[in-house]
Amino acid sequence: MSRAVNRRIFLAGSAAVTGAVVSGTALAPPAAAVSPVSSKSSRSPEPYVPDLDAAGIEVRDAARRDPTEATLAEAAVLMSRRKLTSTALVEAYLDRIGTYDSTYQAYAEVTGETALAAARAADRSGGRRGVLSGIPLCVKDNYFTRGVPTRCNSLIFADFVPNHDATAVARLTAAGGIVLGKGQMGPLATTRATTPNGTVTTVNAWTPDNPATDPGGSSTGPACAVAGRMASSSIGTQTGGSIVLPSNRQNLTGLKPTMGRVSAYGVIPLSYTRDHPGPLARDAMDAALMLAVMAGPDAHDPRTLGLPGLPDLVRAATPVAGRGGAVRMRRATRIGVPADFLNSATEVRKAFLDRIDAISGVTLVDITYPADWPLLTGMFNDARLSERTEPFRHWLREDPALFGVSLLSWLQGLMLSGDEWITAQRAKNHLLREVLDGVLSRCDVLLQTGPVPFDILGLPEIAFPIGFTAGLPSGVILGGAPYEEDRLLEVAAAYQAVTDWHTRRPADPAAPAASGPGAKRAAGAGRPRLTAEEAAAQSA
Amino acid sequence: MKSGLHPPHGMRIPEVLLSQPQPPTQEQLDAYIRTRLALAGVDLDLLPTQPDPATGVPTRDQALRSLRSFVATVPGAIAGWAPPVSGAPAAAYAQQAAPPLLYPSITEAWTGKADAR
Repeated sequence: MSRAVNRRIFLAGSAAVTGAVVSGTALAPPAAAVSPVSSKSSRSPEPYVPDLDAAGIEVRDAARRDPTEATLAEAAVLMSRRKLTSTALVEAYLDRIGTYDSTYQAYAEVTGETALAAARAADRSGGRRGVLSGIPLCVKDNYFTRGVPTRCNSLIFADFVPNHDATAVARLTAAGGIVLGKGQMGPLATTRATTPNGTVTTVNAWTPDNPATDPGGSSTGPACAVAGRMASSSIGTQTGGSIVLPSNRQNLTGLKPTMGRVSAYGVIPLSYTRDHPGPLARDAMDAALMLAVMAGPDAHDPRTLGLPGLPDLVRAATPVAGRGGAVRMRRATRIGVPADFLNSATEVRKAFLDRIDAISGVTLVDITYPADWPLLTGMFNDARLSERTEPFRHWLREDPALFGVSLLSWLQGLMLSGDEWITAQRAKNHLLREVLDGVLSRCDVLLQTGPVPFDILGLPEIAFPIGFTAGLPSGVILGGAPYEEDRLLEVAAAYQAVTDWHTRRPADPAAPAASGPGAKRAAGAGRPRLTAEEAAAQSA
Repeated sequence: MKSGLHPPHGMRIPEVLLSQPQPPTQEQLDAYIRTRLALAGVDLDLLPTQPDPATGVPTRDQALRSLRSFVATVPGAIAGWAPPVSGAPAAAYAQQAAPPLLYPSITEAWTGKADAR
């Protein structure tokens, strides 16, 4: 697939699409369907409406019986067939939030009344607003949401109520998505979700009674909200694994797109060159639908401009059957397997390799990292810390205690000199060539043993479930070449077409005797705490 | 310079030997850290001397200990790296190698290389 684009063609294309929308022409494919958000215009992006019938979405019986079980795509199909209303779906999720979130603590803020009003409006509109019309979503609490507290789980933003939406949020709601609430997160997007003083809040939805189980961070709440069936889908951010790791821990499909695919405007920064917005979803198709809506150029974020067009992600996430009905890869795909891939979760990973290798079109390729890989993806990872310090100097000077348990890495960022930071940027270029001209010359996608290398480089990653280890979800992370999210989705979709790990849901927690803030405090009593040193060591 | 590193008279001192000063003492590190923080406008004395469960913020001693460890390891590891090159002197060729990139993946697209894959 050609990614050819230059700035002139890109701008001409945008203008053509704007004209088509204005004149009422049927909407074009994904890359063109979302017009840029102009800094000089308050016009909302146009909705993206893929043909889900063409994608062959089959609604499972479980989803017909319980709408909170439905994937985003299933819910959209049910609504288009008038088998489900947005109001019923939002009410079902709010019921679960009311019953279970004092245990899960996935939400920092629930916008129930607003969500219900939006759902009723969506039902009245007949679902014409976009692919997400009437779909309830959880938004990580570091995305600006107009009129809704955005605390980033930090004392710094305790009273912050933005006056506009982040671009990604604006795109989701313009496509009909409904913000059900703000997802709890690691303080300032650093660790698993804790209070600013380090006390664990959000649990892993698979072990609601054991807060010691790692739920993944820092998009902990968005992951738990989807896994615990308290939202159809969610969005998070990733600087050091914060989308793919909670997805792996909680049996979700998370897609961290290439840097620049999704605008970071209106996202509270952690490390600006590495903050990637993206979806945490129930399967590859849901991740494709979410990213297709979120992605696109934004004049507020120059990193999103002049990039290759978005491929047809819905097509990529639609599995392909060969002769005889067996699932095959949409394209022949070489999957790189690094030498240390089987060093952990060995049994489940072996089974994964066997299963995916059996899909027609897959070739597994053994990969050896370059010799300087441990240094350039290890110690050099700390170069990101200067970036988190810079936009937070005001509060560091005012009162460092506002950073709570997370303070240390912000202070560490002051200890790197400019020349060292530049050396780290030079190393990025060197590492990029090692990956693109070396590793990815031998394979099309690469299984990861950690998210950091591709976070440093801004390359795309997808996480998806591959089984269970000791009762807990186990997943893999697959990395790809720049702007080839479609290739990642093709692999995940093919694997999910021949397995059912992604359809497994955790059992409900025991319903607490009471609900509300008091119940949340009671459920939080006795939860473990992170120390400042642990927070620094585990920080994204 | 350590006495054992003195070259024989008249021998040109290799660059690598010239760039090995004595490691700083703990007191020097603490002074450096406090000075750097002060220059950045950050007052370490705003931190508590005893653990504060309400905020979870580290104490002054915890912060100093953490920063001492960081300063003693990370900057040196980063500053000690240069892109591998052929040719001598290597430092001259390393200047030309791997120009620093803030956004490697985006640069790949802006330079058209992403299209070629």
